[in-house]
Amino acid sequence: PVLPEGWAGEKDFKTTGRLSAATQRSIEPVGPHFLAHARRARHKRTFSEDDRI
Amino acid sequence: MAAEGASATASAPGERIAIGISFGNSNSSIAITSVDDKAEVIANEDGDRQIPSILSYVDGEEYNGQQAKQQLIRNSNNTVAYFRDFLGQDFKSIDPTHCHASAHPQEHESTIAFTIQDKEGDEKSTVTISEIATRQFRRLKQSATDFSGKEVNSAVITIPTNFNEKQKAALTKSASDAGLEVLQLIHEPIAALLAYDARPESKVEDKNVVVADLGGTRSDVAVIASRGGMYTILATAHDYEYAGVHLDKVLQDHFAKEFIKWNSIDPRENARSLAKLKLEAEATKKALSIGTNANFSVESLAEGIDFASTINRLRYETIARKVFDGFNRLIEGVVKKAGLDVLEIDEVILSGGTSHTPKIASNMRSIFPETTTVLAPSTTPTAINPSELQARGAALQASLIQEYESEDIEQSTHPAVTTVKHLTNAIGVLAISGDPKQGIFTPVISAETAVPARRTIHISVPKEGGDVLVKIVEGGSHIKVSKPDPKPKTNGNKDSDDSDEDSEEDSDDEPEEQRERVWKVGNVLAEAAIRDTKKGSKIEVMINVANDLGVTITAREVGAKGGVRGNLSPP
Repeated sequence: PVLPEGWAGEKDFKTTGRLSAATQRSIEPVGPHFLAHARRARHKRTFSEDDRI
Repeated sequence: MAAEGASATASAPGERIAIGISFGNSNSSIAITSVDDKAEVIANEDGDRQIPSILSYVDGEEYNGQQAKQQLIRNSNNTVAYFRDFLGQDFKSIDPTHCHASAHPQEHESTIAFTIQDKEGDEKSTVTISEIATRQFRRLKQSATDFSGKEVNSAVITIPTNFNEKQKAALTKSASDAGLEVLQLIHEPIAALLAYDARPESKVEDKNVVVADLGGTRSDVAVIASRGGMYTILATAHDYEYAGVHLDKVLQDHFAKEFIKWNSIDPRENARSLAKLKLEAEATKKALSIGTNANFSVESLAEGIDFASTINRLRYETIARKVFDGFNRLIEGVVKKAGLDVLEIDEVILSGGTSHTPKIASNMRSIFPETTTVLAPSTTPTAINPSELQARGAALQASLIQEYESEDIEQSTHPAVTTVKHLTNAIGVLAISGDPKQGIFTPVISAETAVPARRTIHISVPKEGGDVLVKIVEGGSHIKVSKPDPKPKTNGNKDSDDSDEDSEEDSDDEPEEQRERVWKVGNVLAEAAIRDTKKGSKIEVMINVANDLGVTITAREVGAKGGVRGNLSPP
């Protein structure tokens, strides 16, 4: 939407909520994308750290 | 060979020659990946890619596959069939129905065994289920080794989603006793999905997929959330009442009745006649999946009388309707169990031998909306052979992990890695609409996405550019049911009786309600302002959800520097 008049936020960003609760489920340990996920999880890397490698 | 025993333990990654095995109650298949990472299903020495999971013994000689299947007629007592689901089970919990026409399973110590004459001479031996499975694996391994010219020593094997730990352990042991290191056991529907997703033309997308694995003695259906190439099973169903053998039975009864009409003998009352009837009914069923007409003929079906007949596909579809309806209910039921509507399913994958049946695919077409892709040979020309999907998926997974140390595989598949939080709602942005207060919800990250997850979206700015507010919200998908407005009366004159009748008929049809999928905007998470955007440019919004459900949002005009960045603390 168009920015309403008088809208202000710290550094132009305003937090208004949080995510609702999530469910615990199991991912299937199969496929190239899972293996990439497992690699990140085991080395505790984030996406951007992983991109740089 | 001495090496036989040694290779049962883990081999070093460099020495592995790995294959994918789909091990079923009715059929098994083996696949290998070639140099260019394409999976190929291997034919055994008989030229079969679908190898019947049957072992038979004649004068001490072992027969496997199609050759063993033929022995069901003459040598049924020494033929073992339909044994996969007995692995790791108690005798009390198994259903021996399908083994009536072959060697019967019996209780033996804490396990299940078969008494068969598997050596020369008249002596009978008691062979445990785990030894039977080992022998089957040895044959599969041999066929793969003959094909590749190198000793195959490891495998990824597919299993049903309801296999328990005991069954998994028993299967692993049987395979390693045959000299195959089991790299991983993967679920059958996931293997089928991987076989499709690994094709070069397929894109990684967020989609809800139904995999219907319609087999010989059982049908298994799974609803899978595929998010960024990662798979989460949302619901499964297993059915033993509607499967391939039940379709065979329909044909069997049909032709038996016809035979009785001419000869007054029921071929189902004699074991050998019944075995012949069964084999030919299955062959006729397969022919009806390819052609619209099929022959049925058995030499000396009962009391030395030959029998020949034909059937067309339409007749078959009529007499088998009850079974087809059973498949429909099974599939619709599991979609409901996953908390989804058929409108929310993007893809239906038909897997397993029975999925070759054109009628089942066309039933799926009518159950699911037009936007759903039904992947079966008769509905999608580029579909992969449903019988080969699982073996291909297993082979692809084998090629991905064969370089790993077995310890790495174990750690990666550990529940600590696989059990993660999944989003309950979709996260999206409210895109531009005419009314500045209201926007159209555009999903960025779908519900049921595993975290951590990162997605980027581009949204257009208003026509004239200027300052834009990016609103990040949660959204839920709902099914809106609306009845179409009653048709306005075309003209006021009601003089003719015909038009009255017509309108009555129309109103009978009218309750056909329209169902559509709509987004309901929930919780507003954050707002960000992007100032002074240029005319016709786009804004890139990146949403990153961390393990702890903390959210990082970055928004910037494409091509511009900097942009707005903010964090949401975890709930």
